Amino acid sequence: MASFNARITMPAEAKTGEIVEIRVLVRHPMDRGGQVDSEGRVVPRKILNRLTVTYAGEPVFRYDMHTGVSANPFVSFTTRAVETGELTFEWREDGGAIFTRTARLVVT
Amino acid sequence: MSSPISPACARPEPALSRRDVMVAGAAGLALVTLPTPALAAAPPALAELIARITEGAVPERGRISFDIPQLVENGNSVDVAIQVESPMTEADHVRWIHVIAEKNPFPDVARFHLGPRSGRADIRATLRLATSQKVVAIAALSGGGYVIADIDIVVTLSACIDGG
Repeated sequence: MASFNARITMPAEAKTGEIVEIRVLVRHPMDRGGQVDSEGRVVPRKILNRLTVTYAGEPVFRYDMHTGVSANPFVSFTTRAVETGELTFEWREDGGAIFTRTARLVVT
Repeated sequence: MSSPISPACARPEPALSRRDVMVAGAAGLALVTLPTPALAAAPPALAELIARITEGAVPERGRISFDIPQLVENGNSVDVAIQVESPMTEADHVRWIHVIAEKNPFPDVARFHLGPRSGRADIRATLRLATSQKVVAIAALSGGGYVIADIDIVVTLSACIDGG
């Protein structure tokens, strides 16, 4: 897909040890494959198959997605605020495309 | 759009012959005699899926809550919420949570990998359900055990109807 639209919702800052909730919504058709489009062609499977989240370089969350994940997948998870740093979100799409977004968490 | 059910979702239900019923009955008896209380109630296909996930270990009930609407109007996007009671420390945490929908064309729906840095084992996500079925959440604990929760869902509009 030409553009990759991800909305990451999380607090900009947190106290040390606080547990923050991170919500991630991505615009993606998650084509599970097998459907027939309006011109009678079979749509191949093309989904985001993995979301990996690292926080200050450490992996904190991974979401393995299969065809049973809805279009425009939403996920929310939590992480413990340990240090000021970047959260990096990396999506892997069928076919090898990688999409990356970052968000900064300031820990006081 | 009113196109037909896609081939990937077509799962013809084979008619049960008397012989099948007899065999299933015998298998059921054999299953009951096994010391697997959590699996004995599940139909064989689901039990197999669970056993593959847990590498044969018997998951325990409890400690895990699985929230999903019992009546789903649109199977294309179903909100689920899963929480596991766990201190989420280095010594005792949830390693991952796996969701199985036994009657989806691909029953393994999703897996969430967590760790001590998660702070809480608390996940929400949107999934697809092909039809009315039992949906199962299994969590793997760092100690080697597994906990399981399942729920029967009625789906009015299947995720396999195109256009969703």
